[in-house]
Amino acid sequence: MDMPGYYEFCCRVKIISGHDAMEKIPDTLAQLNAGRPMIVTDKGVVGAGLIDIVVNAISDGVNIRAIADDVPSDSDLRIVNSLARLYREKGCDSLIAIGGGSVMDTAKGINIVVSEEADDLMKFSGANALKRALRPLIAIPTTAGTGSEVTLVAVIKDHEKHLKMAFVSNFLLPDVAVVDSRMTLTLPPAITAATGMDALSHAVEAYTCLSKNPLSDAHALAAIRLISDNLLKVMVNPGDKKGRLCMSSAATLAGIAFGNSMVGMVHTLGHSVGSVCGVPHGACMAILLPYGLEYNMHKNGHLTAELLFPLAGPEVYAGTPNEERAEKVIALIRRMNQDLYEATGGRHARFFKEVLDREGKEMVAKEKLPDIAKTALSDGSIFYNPEDLDYNDFLMVLEVAWEGTPLNPRSLSSIHSPSSIIRTT
Amino acid sequence: MRLLMYLPEHYEFFCPVKINSGNRALEQIPCELDALNARKPLVIAGKDAGERGLVDVIIDAFKDSGIAIGIFDGVPAAPDLKLIKELFNIYRDRGYDAVIAVGGGPVADTAKMLNIAVSGKPEDIEGCAGENLIKRPLRPLIIVPTLAGTGYEVSKYAFFDGRSYESHFLMPHLAVIDPRMTIPEDAVTTAATSLAALSHAVEAYTGSGKNPLADAYAYTAIQLIMEHLVNVIRNQRDRNGSLSLANAHAMAACAFSNVAPGVAHKLGKVMGDVCHLHPGLCMGMLLPHILEKQMSEGGYHIPDLLLPLAGFEAYASTAENLRARKAVDILHDLLKDLSAVSGGVIPRLWKDAQVSEDTLQDIAQKAVGVGASFDMDGCVKIVRQAREGR
Repeated sequence: MDMPGYYEFCCRVKIISGHDAMEKIPDTLAQLNAGRPMIVTDKGVVGAGLIDIVVNAISDGVNIRAIADDVPSDSDLRIVNSLARLYREKGCDSLIAIGGGSVMDTAKGINIVVSEEADDLMKFSGANALKRALRPLIAIPTTAGTGSEVTLVAVIKDHEKHLKMAFVSNFLLPDVAVVDSRMTLTLPPAITAATGMDALSHAVEAYTCLSKNPLSDAHALAAIRLISDNLLKVMVNPGDKKGRLCMSSAATLAGIAFGNSMVGMVHTLGHSVGSVCGVPHGACMAILLPYGLEYNMHKNGHLTAELLFPLAGPEVYAGTPNEERAEKVIALIRRMNQDLYEATGGRHARFFKEVLDREGKEMVAKEKLPDIAKTALSDGSIFYNPEDLDYNDFLMVLEVAWEGTPLNPRSLSSIHSPSSIIRTT
Repeated sequence: MRLLMYLPEHYEFFCPVKINSGNRALEQIPCELDALNARKPLVIAGKDAGERGLVDVIIDAFKDSGIAIGIFDGVPAAPDLKLIKELFNIYRDRGYDAVIAVGGGPVADTAKMLNIAVSGKPEDIEGCAGENLIKRPLRPLIIVPTLAGTGYEVSKYAFFDGRSYESHFLMPHLAVIDPRMTIPEDAVTTAATSLAALSHAVEAYTGSGKNPLADAYAYTAIQLIMEHLVNVIRNQRDRNGSLSLANAHAMAACAFSNVAPGVAHKLGKVMGDVCHLHPGLCMGMLLPHILEKQMSEGGYHIPDLLLPLAGFEAYASTAENLRARKAVDILHDLLKDLSAVSGGVIPRLWKDAQVSEDTLQDIAQKAVGVGASFDMDGCVKIVRQAREGR
């Protein structure tokens, strides 16, 4: 194992995991000297009946002062401010966020406003603007994917001024993440598939990109083992409580891994496809993951090769010659996408041309690819990718990922030849 | 048939420690203090740290920061509450707002006690002795480990003035592991502290409290110790190896703070007390024998232990039913190798450490008394095996 010249690792979030983990919330809040929480969630979570499960699990021990279920799928500054007002009016002393990334971001934003007694969230954007602990925040993830219950970032959008603000601080970490199998039992198949692959891409990029360290590696390996053991199992049998809990734990482990190691081009391109075409994050990750590994193969193929162990188990690992392992990993990830495609009746997209919106319309028009490639150039995550990418490189990867043709790793060395210095945008 | 990754029905995990490790890690402390809302740290160290020049390294690291640090480098081997009161007065009167402890053992314990005092009042300390009696987060605490620690410095435990303290709030906010501070003092101490860490990590990884988050810390600690311990004992100037061992010690402490202490830990501590040996050495000598007994009992996650001990390649090429055996053999071999490369200075068997057979019953009785999970006969058997070899 390579010990980096320097690294940092931290996850201060307490993790409570189990089939009835939420019953621990009253005691947990009491230990944080709180007991009057506001619940922050969205209509989807309410519609799935999940709020009732939470309320049943905790209402004996805590005094729920407010349930705010109007968080939009995209975090919004106005909502943050109005929910902060609600928090104050109802005399709340803590927050319970139930949902996916946007709900977590919104709750973190509310927490800044109410803890700092501020009116202007703007003042606290950027790294390390926060100087002290905020109000207690408990995060209950309802998808097994984003890992935002263990990350220290909140992205809040100001839709009026067309601004996207990033807040980064250890104080934004939830105090406790409660991972309960009941919250993902009813997750629809396509979302189970996409979020599961999202978690896998976090773990794989954490392990194969530049800012890895021994602890992020261990978290990533465990996440990959759990995902490869359980993702298809829960697709076939959605009510598999044990499998669901394994997937949720995997998402948390992967979140801790990439939160401490950063990610690479799969995320760079995924963010860009998301922002230009509105494609859900997990779907982008699933499609791009094999391409990211192929593109970087000549730089980090030895690391990709190691992933055959957690992905396929010791027998396959031992039975595959070293020089074939990395390609086998990529083939297996494509195989997972294919299996998920079949298990969802074609709703899990394997390529960008297969991504459809609710009305069945194509979401990623081929003409948009240049826009996406341009957007990718300004995404910070590319800094940690093993190989450089310029505009043409991004476009080339997007084109094959749109069409569904593999990048040939053997032909890539020519792409990375000095000619890429000549090609400019 | 593949071995599915184990996940318990219910688990909890908490590790508030941030780890900063590597070149010029000490120079990051001012920035970290700022993030903890502190700006005037009191550095405490033992006399030996001063003599070895470690305190000067710290002073040097703060040179360009504009931060004035206080230094107390007179922590004795057996500190008492009087010292805490003195330090409390210094901290309060001169306006310090954070504690930095250089090294482990009594220095780390003193820092933890001082932190209880300055987060409230010195009279709080006694009432916090025992399990989970600290009710809220304490003031910023940074530990700068050396290789001579006990393996407890980063953990939730403290032992002070005859009492033991256990709370997650005693864990430091930050462990700063810098290669300038992790130069080995002597082979036996390095081996003993690393064997303590190895035992803690192995028992977390194989025991009933096993969960994937504690596993990640334990797994990494075991890997690092297996990769570097023998090399560092052979070549004490192996800078990267020493840094890696110090990392492993901190990680093992994080895992250890999230599971109940295992039998190697308990028995090893008693054995160390009775025989006046470093408890880490005792834990290391006992560990393979204990695993062997647990192997025959079933219920422990020993086959999977081969993975961090030997790596993917060796694990995959070992038949499933032989993995537990192989894991135990590797631990036996580690002790042999340590003894060999140190020219016998590091004892492999308890009898090498010149301890008589008579103490055996005494050890077993005390171990059962502190709740080791084996009965009297089991303890006697284990200790005898560790004395005589297989």
